Amino acid sequence: MSEQSVMERDHQHSQADSDVLLEVKNLKKYFPVTAGFFKRKVGDVKAVDNVSLTLKKGETFGLVGESGCGKSTTGRTILRLTNATDGQIIFDGQDITRLRGSRLRKFRQNFQMVFQDPYASLNTKMMVGHIVDEPLRNFTDKSSKQLKSQIKELLVRVGLRDTDYYKYPHEFSGGQRQRIGIARALAVNPKLIIADEPVSALDVSIQSQVLNLLKDLQEEFNLTYLFIAHDLSVVKHMSDRIGVMYLGHLVEVGSNEAIYKEPLHPYTQALTSAIPEPDPTKKKERIILEGDVPNPQNPPSGCVFHTRCPVAMPKCKEIVPQLREVRPNHEVACLLYDED
Amino acid sequence: MNTEQASIKAPKRKNSSPWAIARRKFFHNKLAMISSVFLMTVIILSFLAPYITTVDISRVNIGETSLTPSSDHWLGTDQSGRDVFTRLLYGGRVSLTVGMSVTAIVVVFGTLIGSIAGYFGGFVDNILMRFTDFILNFPFLVFVIVLSSLLFGHVSGVWVLIAVISGLSWGGVARIVRSKILAEKENEYILAAESIGTSSAKIITRHLLPNVLSTIIVQATLLFATMIVAEAGLSYLGFGVPQEVPSWGNMLTSSRQPDVLQNKPWIWIPPGLAIVFTILSINFIGEGLKDALNPKSNR
Repeated sequence: MSEQSVMERDHQHSQADSDVLLEVKNLKKYFPVTAGFFKRKVGDVKAVDNVSLTLKKGETFGLVGESGCGKSTTGRTILRLTNATDGQIIFDGQDITRLRGSRLRKFRQNFQMVFQDPYASLNTKMMVGHIVDEPLRNFTDKSSKQLKSQIKELLVRVGLRDTDYYKYPHEFSGGQRQRIGIARALAVNPKLIIADEPVSALDVSIQSQVLNLLKDLQEEFNLTYLFIAHDLSVVKHMSDRIGVMYLGHLVEVGSNEAIYKEPLHPYTQALTSAIPEPDPTKKKERIILEGDVPNPQNPPSGCVFHTRCPVAMPKCKEIVPQLREVRPNHEVACLLYDED
Repeated sequence: MNTEQASIKAPKRKNSSPWAIARRKFFHNKLAMISSVFLMTVIILSFLAPYITTVDISRVNIGETSLTPSSDHWLGTDQSGRDVFTRLLYGGRVSLTVGMSVTAIVVVFGTLIGSIAGYFGGFVDNILMRFTDFILNFPFLVFVIVLSSLLFGHVSGVWVLIAVISGLSWGGVARIVRSKILAEKENEYILAAESIGTSSAKIITRHLLPNVLSTIIVQATLLFATMIVAEAGLSYLGFGVPQEVPSWGNMLTSSRQPDVLQNKPWIWIPPGLAIVFTILSINFIGEGLKDALNPKSNR
């Protein structure tokens, strides 16, 4: 690497620091496994293991991986909905990993979440207006009248009608319910929104509407998204940068283009080869992975992917690969790229 | 165009809150409505007793013992010459008071314990539920009999009975509420409430309780019926409400004498029927509430 490019990179790095919104360092979330009458601890499910990522202000970071790989747990741990086992979560320069009680509750107006299941994520006994104004009631002491007009505006903004304020969740379709969920997340004007598979429970015809709404809102409210999904085309549509997770590990991070055009990690290559091609004349080579995802309670030694990796080497069983910047702004955790 | 709009707007939008829907369903349930009317009548008659009859309930009249029903004494008199109709009204007052008070105390306390245990889980849950198990393991009848004989003479009266029965009965409600809350709190909307910074107390009262309330309400009606029977049973055995206070159970006590049971049915049939029909109507109301509060039923 030439000296100039190193300098350039360092320069970029120091500049990037100022507009970093969220920095996650070596995040770990282990769920203890207990057995027997005395609840003896017999092991851990390593749902999230050593995940580090950085979100810049205003960008959308897509997190992909198959079900059970720890995407949602990562999101929930960042939002402090579950406590991290180890690691650091730095939000806007403030370490929030150990924030507790009412200080944590106050801090929650900085980040919000859009949930996966629009049916389970709304309390069916509450009026839509009250569902959406609840975060505001928790954080501000505006009068009910002010709140009401503000909420009605918000409902219109996310594509509902202001009279929907008086309705109940059972009167809406899945897509509309997800809009209510988005309005609730937006109510306190957060800086970061973690969208945990926000469209995977919706009809395909509705998905794009909700995705485009999210994109519009991002511009309007200057939001940063951590977009969690298992649908690769959805992530491609939404994200500026993408992180690929496998069995609790972040295996590759790069720009949208880099990940889709030039995937480096064998797992990412297998994933991207599975994206359906709309053009029937194009022939694509599909990489089919053998076997199942290993048990996260007892992950493979070395690189967790070596049991299914088509290009595994003997050393993959022993050495845990670290996430390294192999190309500019393109990091991968794979021993294949460790030569230099 | 204008008329078209008007015709679309014409049917006033029905209140679509889940509670309003349940209310409409309940009002359409004939059996439950008849039962409600009956129960309301019983309650009103009992509590307005002093305005309905002017007969003194405690007055013993040797000259008028065991009279058959007549225009003077609608339901006759008992062996002490007391008017059965008057005692029935006042007795309802006591029986219903015991039933309602016990139900209220048990539901409030059981819900409190159950929801705290269910929501917080872990250590708190363990402590509270072991305590609940401890209470549930008391042999109810033996304990009530021992307690009321111990307290007899020191403090007596209806309120002792209410305290004793409720102190022993909240365990069931606590367990049911806990299990319901355990299931309910796994829903994403609870996680959502947490993520928007709602406090634990508010999550329980605003989110969890409204969603388990239907179970609690149905449970409460059944409990109400059970408690009326419990009062009657205990009083019949002589361990319930003090003898001098009329209650439906106490009135049944006289049927223990073979002569009354065989030859003077007007003394024990009225309180018996009062108990049966009250319990029946409460159960019908409970059934109706269960259907009304279940969003999946269309009855």
